[in-house]
Amino acid sequence: MTKYLLTRLRQSLITLFLVSVVVFAGIRALPGDPALALAGEERSPEALAAIRESYGLNDNVVVQYGRFIGHALTGDLGTSSRTGLPVADAIGQALPVTLELAALSLLLAIVVGIGAGVVAAVRRGKPEEWLANAIALIGLSIPTFWLGIVLVLGFAIAVPVFAASGYVPFGTDPVDNLRRMVLPAIVLGSGLAAVVMRQTRAAMLDSLSADYVRTARAKGLSRGSVVGGHALRNSLVTVVTVLGLQLGHLISGAVVTEQIFVLPGFGKLTIDAVFTRDYATLQAVVLCTSAAYILINLLVDVVYSVIDPRIRLGGAR
Amino acid sequence: MRRKAVALVAVALVSLTSGCASLQSSATEVGGVRMTDDRSVRDGGTLTVALNSDPDKLDPTLAQTLVGRTVFAGMCEKLYDIDEDGTFVPQLAASLPTTSADGRTVTVRLRPGLKFSDGTRLDAPAVVTSLLRHRDLPGSARSTELAPVTEAKATGPLTVRLTLDHPYVPLTGVLADRAGMVMSPAALKKYGKNFTNHPSCVGPFRFVERTGGDRIVLEKDPNYYDADHVHLDGVVYKPIPDGNVRLANLRSGDLQVGDQMAPVDVQSALTEPKLQLFNSPSLGYQGIGLNVGNVKGLGQKPGKIDTPVGRDVRVREAFELAIDRDLLNKVVFQGMYEPACGPISPQSAIAPGVAPEDCPRRDVDRAKELLKEAGVKTPVKIELKTSTTPEQGRVGQVLQAMVKEAGFELSLRPTEYATMLAETDAGNYDVFTSGWSGRLDPDGNVSNFLKTAGAMNAYGLGDPEIDKLIAEGRSVADPARRTEIYDELTRRVQDAHALIYLYRQKNYVVAGKDVAGIHVYGDGLVRVKNAGYTR
Amino acid sequence: MTTATTALPTPPRASKRRAGGGKLRALRRNKLALTGGIIAAVFVLTALFAPLIAPYDPSQPDFGNVLAEPSAAHWLGTDDLGRDQLSRIVHGARASMQVGLVAVVLAFLVGVPLGLLAGYYGRFADTAVSRLTDTMLAFPFLVLAVGLAAILGPSLTNATIAIGISQIPAVIRITRAETLRLKHVDYVAAAVANGGGDGTVLFRHILPNATSALIVQATVGIPAAIIGEALLSFLGLGVQPPAPSLGVMLSGAQSFLAPAPWLAVFPGLAIVAATLAFNLLGDGLRDVLDPRGATR
Repeated sequence: MTKYLLTRLRQSLITLFLVSVVVFAGIRALPGDPALALAGEERSPEALAAIRESYGLNDNVVVQYGRFIGHALTGDLGTSSRTGLPVADAIGQALPVTLELAALSLLLAIVVGIGAGVVAAVRRGKPEEWLANAIALIGLSIPTFWLGIVLVLGFAIAVPVFAASGYVPFGTDPVDNLRRMVLPAIVLGSGLAAVVMRQTRAAMLDSLSADYVRTARAKGLSRGSVVGGHALRNSLVTVVTVLGLQLGHLISGAVVTEQIFVLPGFGKLTIDAVFTRDYATLQAVVLCTSAAYILINLLVDVVYSVIDPRIRLGGAR
Repeated sequence: MRRKAVALVAVALVSLTSGCASLQSSATEVGGVRMTDDRSVRDGGTLTVALNSDPDKLDPTLAQTLVGRTVFAGMCEKLYDIDEDGTFVPQLAASLPTTSADGRTVTVRLRPGLKFSDGTRLDAPAVVTSLLRHRDLPGSARSTELAPVTEAKATGPLTVRLTLDHPYVPLTGVLADRAGMVMSPAALKKYGKNFTNHPSCVGPFRFVERTGGDRIVLEKDPNYYDADHVHLDGVVYKPIPDGNVRLANLRSGDLQVGDQMAPVDVQSALTEPKLQLFNSPSLGYQGIGLNVGNVKGLGQKPGKIDTPVGRDVRVREAFELAIDRDLLNKVVFQGMYEPACGPISPQSAIAPGVAPEDCPRRDVDRAKELLKEAGVKTPVKIELKTSTTPEQGRVGQVLQAMVKEAGFELSLRPTEYATMLAETDAGNYDVFTSGWSGRLDPDGNVSNFLKTAGAMNAYGLGDPEIDKLIAEGRSVADPARRTEIYDELTRRVQDAHALIYLYRQKNYVVAGKDVAGIHVYGDGLVRVKNAGYTR
Repeated sequence: MTTATTALPTPPRASKRRAGGGKLRALRRNKLALTGGIIAAVFVLTALFAPLIAPYDPSQPDFGNVLAEPSAAHWLGTDDLGRDQLSRIVHGARASMQVGLVAVVLAFLVGVPLGLLAGYYGRFADTAVSRLTDTMLAFPFLVLAVGLAAILGPSLTNATIAIGISQIPAVIRITRAETLRLKHVDYVAAAVANGGGDGTVLFRHILPNATSALIVQATVGIPAAIIGEALLSFLGLGVQPPAPSLGVMLSGAQSFLAPAPWLAVFPGLAIVAATLAFNLLGDGLRDVLDPRGATR
């Protein structure tokens, strides 16, 4: 087990290194640089040269990369070339927003997804199953950004129940915070809920037909306690693992959702950084996102290997 | 039909009322100019203002964006300012500057008793420190504007003498913008490069905090010399790029002021009884730039471009004649902007430019004739680089349909901002959408763009006659003579057909009806100094 | 992008392969899959014969009739430049289909050989390919696509390439997993023992048996690509105007949500219908072809 963990850890570090190289080289392959994106309306050759100099853009790319990694390892992520704010602060401010969004979406996905999944499995062949399946399929098929537009149209413009944008920290005003986060969480959580629903239904069907459940039923346990206590508990392991794998998509989805609802989170920070060629911010943000993704994958793999030792022997590495 | 009528009324009113225009039209109609609302207000409250993008650095020396100027309007006053007619008035200065007979010495006198937001005094040495920083700091965006200033000296506690390389009339206009903002020397010393995160100037409000991409918070500054007339406790600026979202928030009351609203959103806002509209004509322009000689990149000597558009002025003239500016304005902007055909706004207080009704009319037959005379094979294929905003996309598509009738095949290439700058600077384009937010002095709208090898002359235009007119315009003080010079300049630029001016935006600001005292002048900034909630 | 671009990885489970024949019949019996198939077919036919179906030229503006409500002359109304929205949706379906198919083919052309390589040879090949896959997966799709579109310039072709590339890791993973599984199946092992060359074993024995899983992946990849195209065009990084695309239409519609909500509703519904159809079809195919994932 320890050996497996070490191997996985080493692989993760290699991936992280590759990601850092790709993002570093990739952003420099984009036409235009921070000086140009920054100077914009009032660029003069002298000002451009001075900006390039002050951000060390005239140095050899390898030197720049070395400096970036060196500083990053000491926790210094540099300053944004656009706003002059420290990147670490920007990340510190954006992270809670995205984490709250992700948490609310997950909550929604789990409550709706597992609920509908259990109903669909227990009421197999009944209209309820059909309905749950249909909703899940539609949830999978609606583009996130369109759902966002439609919800803004419906609930923020036509019947203004929820606010269409902005972020108020939960600590400052919990009610206002939730009023602003409901629509984004629905947008981000809907696809995930559909995935969870289908996974739960499948796992429940498997469990319900398993021998021990049949034994439990035969022993005279009530239907409710069999479904709740045995089948569901056993299905949850699979569901949780799948949720873990979906977190990567959640991170990507946050980009679009935050863009639509103007939430100052990680996704918005990322896209803004691409458009303003804010090298320091983009490098740091993509690296953090990737690190989170890799970490989650690592955890999922470890959980898997605990559940199913065959994997360690070379199945899905 | 109603829309058309409204547009006509708008155009007519704008041309009539540029001067005396505070409450000409009702608050809920498009048309006319409405720069302020002088109902009396009570003390207290915080105003939330939506900007259409996140400002860049909050350092007057380094700042480059228009939205940044709006934030500075709340916290960094300038030596001079403009009033609602667009004429210069003293702000931190006690009076307008005096210029020596040879035009090379300018004296600035300061108001007594000014204090920065950090409590230190604003005096002549502080002004000198700021001016020199604006001029000399590496990466300064102000260095070109202040280049003619060879020396700045405090000749008394409240008097600054500037020595110029040559007579430089636009200086007052420059000092009425960011180059005229005075920063606290103590704060500059304390924070250095990090001043942007702790800006300290003289202003009705002072900086509290900033969250990138989310908010900039200012609070009332007790050190401010005119604090008695500041009613709000604070102002919050929030970047909200999406028009729908901005509008929804204005409706719900989460926002009180929306800056730079798009015409279509203004129309929606006007159906809402709780909202009111302010607007002022813009000093900038929007148009398309044609590559006529940019072969080696920005700032280099123009060369020969071997495309039909680059080679032959008749092809460019045909292109311009194929465009219907009125229709473009009606289709894309609901008729709420203003057709334009010269660099300088007709609302300029210094040297008014061409009025919309004097712009050349569309003439497809003449355009076809010109193409025939030029002997080019039709359709003439041209690629237009536009920015990626839906609005610019629509401009491109309308142009595409218009010029098609004259024999041009215009393909569109939406190009994201930084890429666009890189490619147009390098001369790697046929035609691109080119706009400018405008400056108070007409020189700011022409010299960098039209001078041979000028800092932003991406068109590769090189005309000694234009260069001469630009130089003359900068050194002649007599307004009547300046108007003549810029009229002549405009004619020459129009004949070159290298930068085809198409329309001028208007500054539309939507605010809640319970807000009064904001001012929206020709520079497009929202001034919140006297703003407040109505009693 | 919570809509998964990957067929969900399935925890290995004992598989009971259904007896060969009657797959088509089974598919026909599955009513939902049939519905999906029919809608998908309509979508494909619409794309193929767009010029014949569309009542108007999708790029012809009519400046006198902008933002018209749905009417007898224009069933779905006109857009901000007076173009017929129905005609634009019909032609937009074409762009969507083109991206959907080409991107998936691209992902397969690159992903399948790499997956086979990694799964069959293992060791260094496997390590190299797996790290590549992980690296690609660790990038948010959108950042990857935005970056590629910015480097290559926005166009339908480049959007297709960006989406195709973003789907490669999923194809690699599935091919690799199938190869690993099949390598140990008796008849493949027998072919190896009998001295079959690598080429023979890979292309005669492994690849054909991996088809089921790959077809299922294709039905996941096509709707994901359709959504991807819409998203990139929505962000101004895909199809160039005036060419119609469902994403371009939505992007333009966003400025007119209040005065003309129908502009945002219909193209969105078209995307939902198309992706729903492919998802239904995919579910049906999975039931029939790939029993390991059948319950999902």
